[in-house]
Amino acid sequence: MTQQAIKTNRIPALPAALPSRQEIVLLILILSLFGVANHLSPNFLAPPAQITLSTHVWELALIAIPMTLIILTAGIDLSVGSTMALSAVVFGLCYKAHWPLAAGAALALLVGAAAGALNGIFVAYVKVHPLIVTLATLAAYRGIAEGISLGQPVSGFPDSLTKFGTGSVGMVPIPAIVFLVVIVVTALVMARTPVGLWLSAIGYNETAAQYSGIAVSRIKLLLYTSSGLMAAISALLFVARRNTAKADIGTGMELAVITAVVLGGTSIFGGRGRLFGTLLGVLLIHEMREFLSWQWNRDEITLVVIGTLLILSVLADSLLSPKKR
Amino acid sequence: MTIHTPPAIPSQLQSNAAAGGGFFRLLKQREYGVLALLALTLIVVGLINPAFVAGGNLKDILVAAAPAIIVGCGLTFVVLMGEIDISMGALMGVLATVMGQLTSPSHAHLPVGEGILITLALGSLVGLINGLLVAYGRMPSIIVTLGMMTVLQGVNLILINGQWITDMPAGLRWFGTGRFLAVPISIWTTILVVAASIILARETPLGHRIYASGSNPEAARLTGLPVRPIKLFVFTLTGLLTAVATVVSVPLLAVIEPGVGKGFELLAVTCVVVGGTSISGGQGNIIGTVLAALLLSVVRPTLVFLKLGPSASYWERAIQGAFILAAVLLDQVARARSRRGKAGA
Amino acid sequence: MNNSFLQVTNLTKSYGGVHALSGVSLDIKAGEIHSLMGENGAGKSTFIKCLAGAVRPDAGGVAVDGSTISPGDIRAAEAAGIVAMHQESTAFAHLNAVDNIFVGREMKRGPGLLDRRGMERETLALLDRLGESIDIKRPLQELSLAQRQMVGMARALSHSSRLLIMDEPTASLSARETKSLFRVMRQLQGEGVAILYISHRLEEVFELSDRVTVLRDGRHVETRPIGDVTRDELIRLMVGRELLAESRAAGSAGEGAVMLDVHGLTQPGVFHNISFNVRAGEVVGLAGLVGAGRSEVAASIFGVDKPESGTVTVGGKPLPPGSVKTAIESGIALVPEDRQHQGLVLPLTVGSNLLLSVLGSPSLGPLRSARKEGGIVGDLMKDLTVKAASSNIAANTLSGGNQQKLAIGKWLAMSPRVLILDEPTRGVDVGAKAEVYRVIRRLAAEGMATLIISSDLPEILTLSDRILVMREGALAGELSRAEADEEKILALALPREGASV
Repeated sequence: MTQQAIKTNRIPALPAALPSRQEIVLLILILSLFGVANHLSPNFLAPPAQITLSTHVWELALIAIPMTLIILTAGIDLSVGSTMALSAVVFGLCYKAHWPLAAGAALALLVGAAAGALNGIFVAYVKVHPLIVTLATLAAYRGIAEGISLGQPVSGFPDSLTKFGTGSVGMVPIPAIVFLVVIVVTALVMARTPVGLWLSAIGYNETAAQYSGIAVSRIKLLLYTSSGLMAAISALLFVARRNTAKADIGTGMELAVITAVVLGGTSIFGGRGRLFGTLLGVLLIHEMREFLSWQWNRDEITLVVIGTLLILSVLADSLLSPKKR
Repeated sequence: MTIHTPPAIPSQLQSNAAAGGGFFRLLKQREYGVLALLALTLIVVGLINPAFVAGGNLKDILVAAAPAIIVGCGLTFVVLMGEIDISMGALMGVLATVMGQLTSPSHAHLPVGEGILITLALGSLVGLINGLLVAYGRMPSIIVTLGMMTVLQGVNLILINGQWITDMPAGLRWFGTGRFLAVPISIWTTILVVAASIILARETPLGHRIYASGSNPEAARLTGLPVRPIKLFVFTLTGLLTAVATVVSVPLLAVIEPGVGKGFELLAVTCVVVGGTSISGGQGNIIGTVLAALLLSVVRPTLVFLKLGPSASYWERAIQGAFILAAVLLDQVARARSRRGKAGA
Repeated sequence: MNNSFLQVTNLTKSYGGVHALSGVSLDIKAGEIHSLMGENGAGKSTFIKCLAGAVRPDAGGVAVDGSTISPGDIRAAEAAGIVAMHQESTAFAHLNAVDNIFVGREMKRGPGLLDRRGMERETLALLDRLGESIDIKRPLQELSLAQRQMVGMARALSHSSRLLIMDEPTASLSARETKSLFRVMRQLQGEGVAILYISHRLEEVFELSDRVTVLRDGRHVETRPIGDVTRDELIRLMVGRELLAESRAAGSAGEGAVMLDVHGLTQPGVFHNISFNVRAGEVVGLAGLVGAGRSEVAASIFGVDKPESGTVTVGGKPLPPGSVKTAIESGIALVPEDRQHQGLVLPLTVGSNLLLSVLGSPSLGPLRSARKEGGIVGDLMKDLTVKAASSNIAANTLSGGNQQKLAIGKWLAMSPRVLILDEPTRGVDVGAKAEVYRVIRRLAAEGMATLIISSDLPEILTLSDRILVMREGALAGELSRAEADEEKILALALPREGASV
């Protein structure tokens, strides 16, 4: 029995390990998309255009991080878009009430985290299926957002905020920095601490995870709370970028995020998945959205394409891995 | 040292079941609660503002509740089998657009009858696709219907192409505003659908097998029940009923635009969950869904009639969400109590 | 002279390399009550599952009146007249008695409508034939266990069955309910229905049966008319086999400090007033039949379930109930009965499974270290002689024996003080068994307080310094190593008729 370097189940963000089959498919799709785009409209791929367009992607990307972890544990969070709206509205109302921006932001973040925590409590402790909980909070949170804002937008935020949202440090946009910090920290935690393995274990076999002494309920609570927090951060980035806080922000966000995560190779059934795959999924969805918008200026095609992609990728996953569910 | 026989019946369930004859045995505690809440709302608001319980207003409430009840019936069967469908709202949007474009004079101007038939067929087709993916593709129904919902939203926008439909022909409008024996068509349709659903659920082998498949899918499979075709059926049915609901509710609108059907799927799911149908399958009934639909339909009028100001109607969605959370919380509490009851001899 | 109408020929079934059934042949005569006996793991469950069509045998078949029944097909079995009484897993808990009986074969009237009246009438008639009356409109989950069984029997009757299979039906019934059941069985017998009856209760077997068959280690041992066998002979037929060649090591038990102290542990309806202790270096065996409550006691001690009352003390310190994490931190480890669903996360790698519990514990710290972990995993695999190409392969590719070693190994990394093993060699081949025993003995010698729950009597005898026997939720007795033998254990474990209820 030789003693070899033991490779345990690490989930790196960077492609330290070889790309999985799913990720290779994604890379091919992305490159194909670039090929088509280049043929039809070369300006699209030029760096200036790409950088301008990239302002949209950070919110999606941020929320996709905790969503990856949640889906890894065989859960789901449909309420992220609504939490975004709620946080944005809270922030806007604080500003309208002449609160200092920092205080408003802090409250918005708190609200987002609390919203996520409520999800987490219902899922982990009341033990309701995450689907139902987050479907309910999807409605509840957006409803509350609509209620307290009376449907009215808040705009006219000061330049300091707009500069934060659209500014850069050198070549790197500020939102990108936020995203990079979060993803690097998450990736490190996943790879360098037991968390990555714990999440995978919970997703594959929650009972065995519990019998192994893993703090399943606490972990789930933490995951959903972070999801809410990320949604809140995204909301702030959005408001900073667009200078408006309204209750209809983030509609459809949950679909885009879940599609990105699932496309990236994280199994909807739990246990298997990588942040790197999610990155690729986010990239594909973003580029597709932007290109369709650029070329034909029609958002609706994006909807059709993303919905179809989601179904096809999960169908493939389901047919190729005969797990009885 | 005495040896306990495992206690059989939690005492509260025992006394509940002992009381009442066949009819009451069918209704468990949940439906009573919903009915009570509904009656309470009507009484309280009626006292505050008598116009609320005037015949005309009640009829309006029923007409407004019609689509939720109709689709809720189909969705009840889906949830009874342990699945879910959130594509109905987007489907309604597409069907409304199709129906409008087929029959409107400025578009295809087909005969109304043909237009409606095509709408019904289309709804069933979408339901069929959902069912195929879930039952035979073995995909989680949440993903299938989430994806389908998005695709349909996009399709709807593409079809509408910025041109809202304002000229629905009279023949089509009749389905919304017309009456038969002084009762609106939509209410007749609702009664028909509910009656048929109750018969299907309680009086047919198919309904029987739906309950069995939801109660214990593994045993159903082993017993040789055709679980997959049955799943296919319930999804197709939901698609068809969505089309029916579209036909009797959209003609009431002034204009067909992309917002039609928005949020409808949430309303339908709320009705089913609040009405007592368990998400894990096997338990629940049509009546509960109907009562819950009525209850939810009085939420907005209540907000309006209580003169809580223009902001009040914005809270409707929040209330829906709160209802679901309350319903599942109650479910879990009840389950925990019965478990403790079983354990304590 | 009654001829056999049902022939079982050479039934064989293996699960992952372990032979559950090896070439079992049997015949059943019309209208006889035929008892099937054997210890846990003898193959009875697998046998009846194959018979009923719920499981497809690897070899061999079942024939009724000469024609072979399509294997693994419940409907075919039912059509041929073989009906198994509903277990918990095959009943529809939310449906009532009528529904359960007629599901899939509903009676109809008119254009596709259910003939509810007809089915209710039929159900009541069936129950009447059995001499029972229950509320047929209540969902099954609201009925008592005895009533649920009546429904199961009515269902079998409605199938015009020729063979009714009953698996331990009296396990949780009162004396009165049991009498009712027997009366119904005799009635069925009178109508020509044969009954294959599995039970551990010797008195019942002697009271009811015409013939009795003993299985052992998946093999058919003997079939005899009930008049030709005595109680002692029956026990001997069930258990008699060579003990494993390993000689019983001389134990130093009884000298170490008390590591695990359980007092008055009670979970109503499951177990009652369980008190015992385990010393460091001691191996205590917990014997008993399936359903006696042993696994539940272990789960309670480990914190998976919270007991209603009672205390657990580890190393002198009281253990707060209901938390697995706390139990692990105070030094308890549990290798659960079901390694597939509780013990291991099979899709993960061998290495990951071994590290699953120890990661994040103070001994390793919050950060992962490939080097440290590699060392631990390598040592464990060597220690337990896990046969795998590397630690990087998925655990579900391993044999049962090697998987079991993983399930044990993951705890060794934690250096527990108390090790509870629930069926440590279930589904494990002989070679791996010996290795597992070696590990257990070595750990005990190093001071581990070990509690072994096992239905394998030679195993318990081989390993234990002391043997506790549980029966129907309570401790029935204790045997020292010197005085214990299989027959004594079984005698304590078997339920007594007319036990106080």
